[in-house]
Amino acid sequence: MGQSTPIGTKTILIVEDEALIRFDLVDFFEAAGWRVFEAENADDAIRILDHHKEVRAVLTDVQMPGSMDGVKLAHYVRERFPPTVLFVVSGNLHIPDSELPPQTTFLPKPFDAHRLLRQLEAAQPR
Amino acid sequence: MPNTKTLPFVDRLLSWSFRHPISTPARYAAATVLIVVVGLFRALVISSIVPWLLFIPVVLAIGLVLGRGSGVYAGVLAGVVAGLSIGNAREPLWLTDAQWIGSILFVLVAAGIAVFAAELRAAFARARRLTVEKDDALARFAEREAFLSGVLSSSTDCIKILDLDARLTFMSEGGQKVMEVSDFNAIAGCPWPDFWRDKGNDEARAAIAAAKAGQSRSFIGQAATMRGTVKWWHVAVSPIPGADGRPARILSVSRDISDLRASEEERDRFVRLVENSNDFVGMVRTDGTVFYINDAARRMVGLEGGADAGSLSIADFLMPEEAAKVANEVLPAVARDGHWAGEIDFRHFGTGEPIPALYSVFPITDADGALIGYGTVTRDFRERKRVENDMQLMNGELAHRLKNVLAVIQSVAQQTLRNAPDTETASHDLSARLAALGAATDVLTGKSWRSADLCELTKRALAPHGLIGRRILINGPSVTLKPEVTMAFALALHELATNASKYGALSNDNGTVALTWTVEGDDADARFALRWEERGGPEVSLPKRKGFGSTLIERSLRSYFRGQAATDYRPEGLVFQLEARLGDAAIVTGK
Repeated sequence: MGQSTPIGTKTILIVEDEALIRFDLVDFFEAAGWRVFEAENADDAIRILDHHKEVRAVLTDVQMPGSMDGVKLAHYVRERFPPTVLFVVSGNLHIPDSELPPQTTFLPKPFDAHRLLRQLEAAQPR
Repeated sequence: MPNTKTLPFVDRLLSWSFRHPISTPARYAAATVLIVVVGLFRALVISSIVPWLLFIPVVLAIGLVLGRGSGVYAGVLAGVVAGLSIGNAREPLWLTDAQWIGSILFVLVAAGIAVFAAELRAAFARARRLTVEKDDALARFAEREAFLSGVLSSSTDCIKILDLDARLTFMSEGGQKVMEVSDFNAIAGCPWPDFWRDKGNDEARAAIAAAKAGQSRSFIGQAATMRGTVKWWHVAVSPIPGADGRPARILSVSRDISDLRASEEERDRFVRLVENSNDFVGMVRTDGTVFYINDAARRMVGLEGGADAGSLSIADFLMPEEAAKVANEVLPAVARDGHWAGEIDFRHFGTGEPIPALYSVFPITDADGALIGYGTVTRDFRERKRVENDMQLMNGELAHRLKNVLAVIQSVAQQTLRNAPDTETASHDLSARLAALGAATDVLTGKSWRSADLCELTKRALAPHGLIGRRILINGPSVTLKPEVTMAFALALHELATNASKYGALSNDNGTVALTWTVEGDDADARFALRWEERGGPEVSLPKRKGFGSTLIERSLRSYFRGQAATDYRPEGLVFQLEARLGDAAIVTGK
């Protein structure tokens, strides 16, 4: 993984149970020079976040097996790690902003990863 | 009275005397005058040899015409007048002894004649009175007969007289008309029960038997008229007693009730239509109290068991907010427009749950057109709503899956493009991978995306790469893969087969691939092991660089199956092995 990237910047956690999609996103962000953590459910994601405080962005799918879905995970992350940049992805109907934590971007599936990258880099503190 | 042999003159005279009663003094005066006239006539014209003879017919006539009193008086007077006319002053007693004797005898005879004549008169009077009475009786009888035959012929009932053997002996004129009888003689003597069909025949025989026993019976049956028109009849059969008081003949009166019967049948059909309807059919009065609900209505709102609907009103059947709407909007709209239809939530009496329904209301009027209530035919929409909801859910689910498939395709495409040395390779690889994904969706669609049969999936995914059964040998028990692992598994198989075709056992003419899987155990914790083993291909060497395909095979299957996946590049042939908990890979039906 992109170990050369300075800690605290350009670090993202991808939470997606569909491995084919997750692999692609991991590859994509790594190719873009990001340090990438991956999790296939919310429980794994929380474990990673607890150990790697440097994660500044979280991209999570909504539908996942396990105790928490993506929306709950997003709320959890916003509460525990308030500055995190949050993206919630779903193939289901649009999730209204009122159900999402503040400053969270909803992305319908499938989404344009290049555009997401531009958004992320713009939001990234320099 | 042509049979009475009397002289017309006497007859007329007597009749005249009966018609013109004369007062007693006048009768005596008339008798006196007649006797005196005859006495004078005798004294002046006729000699004295037959002094009394002339008086006899006169006395007879007076007795006959004026009665006994006048007759006897006339006889006595005639004796006196005759005695006076033949007397002689020289005789000490006016008459001689012989004349006295003659006079006395004459008076006695004349009195007898007068009495006899008077009796004749009385007999004549009696005969005359009897004749008048007889005429009166005859007239009354004729009148009565005319009345009865008028009643018989004008009645539209079919009135028949049968003998004790139930044979027709008489049929009223009106009856012949309704029975369409053109010639009664053609059916006279026919056994009456034979006219009745089916059950009516039994009823007719039973009624005859009852009539013979002195009882009246009635029944309803079907019989054809003489022209073959089948009609319904109401029949009353009763005995006609003879002189001895026992049934001598049988009276049968049939009334054509076909029209009544038809209207009853029509009404019955409408009643059954409503009662058997699967829709809620009900009627309320104008004040909203329930007048009628059918069984379907009871079933729909949970009122089975026959609770009295009459104590309920329209609001009891509806959710509270809907009751207000019906009262304030629906019924006024019905009164205004004559109809209202729309979706309304009814209320279940048992559970209180709302019952979605298509509520259609219309006014009910009496024969004069006055509003007497409202009717409804309401359709239970629960099932339809459920189906609608299911459809909505399915639609959402389908959209979700479609987007997921698109996302998977997006990922596969991006990775293919990222790893391809040139666009031609990228195009070729992408097409083949999409085809493999297509095969997987085929298998999934066949099971409504609930599961995929492993054997079918492997055959479909591998079919493009070599003859199944000769180059590719598939063997394993029946396993039903979970839908979420199916696409990745199909893609992995595709990558294995692609590699085998390029570098392995399928790259020459005689290499084979054996794909086998086993299940050890019989619950969710059973072990699922799958093995891809290539034989007969060129010697295998470790690849210098692992492409997308190889990475995908191990990485994705490890993730999806939460198990072990390893590729062993043995010189004699590549072996790929996957091991997982059966419950993570497949749908396990509890055995």
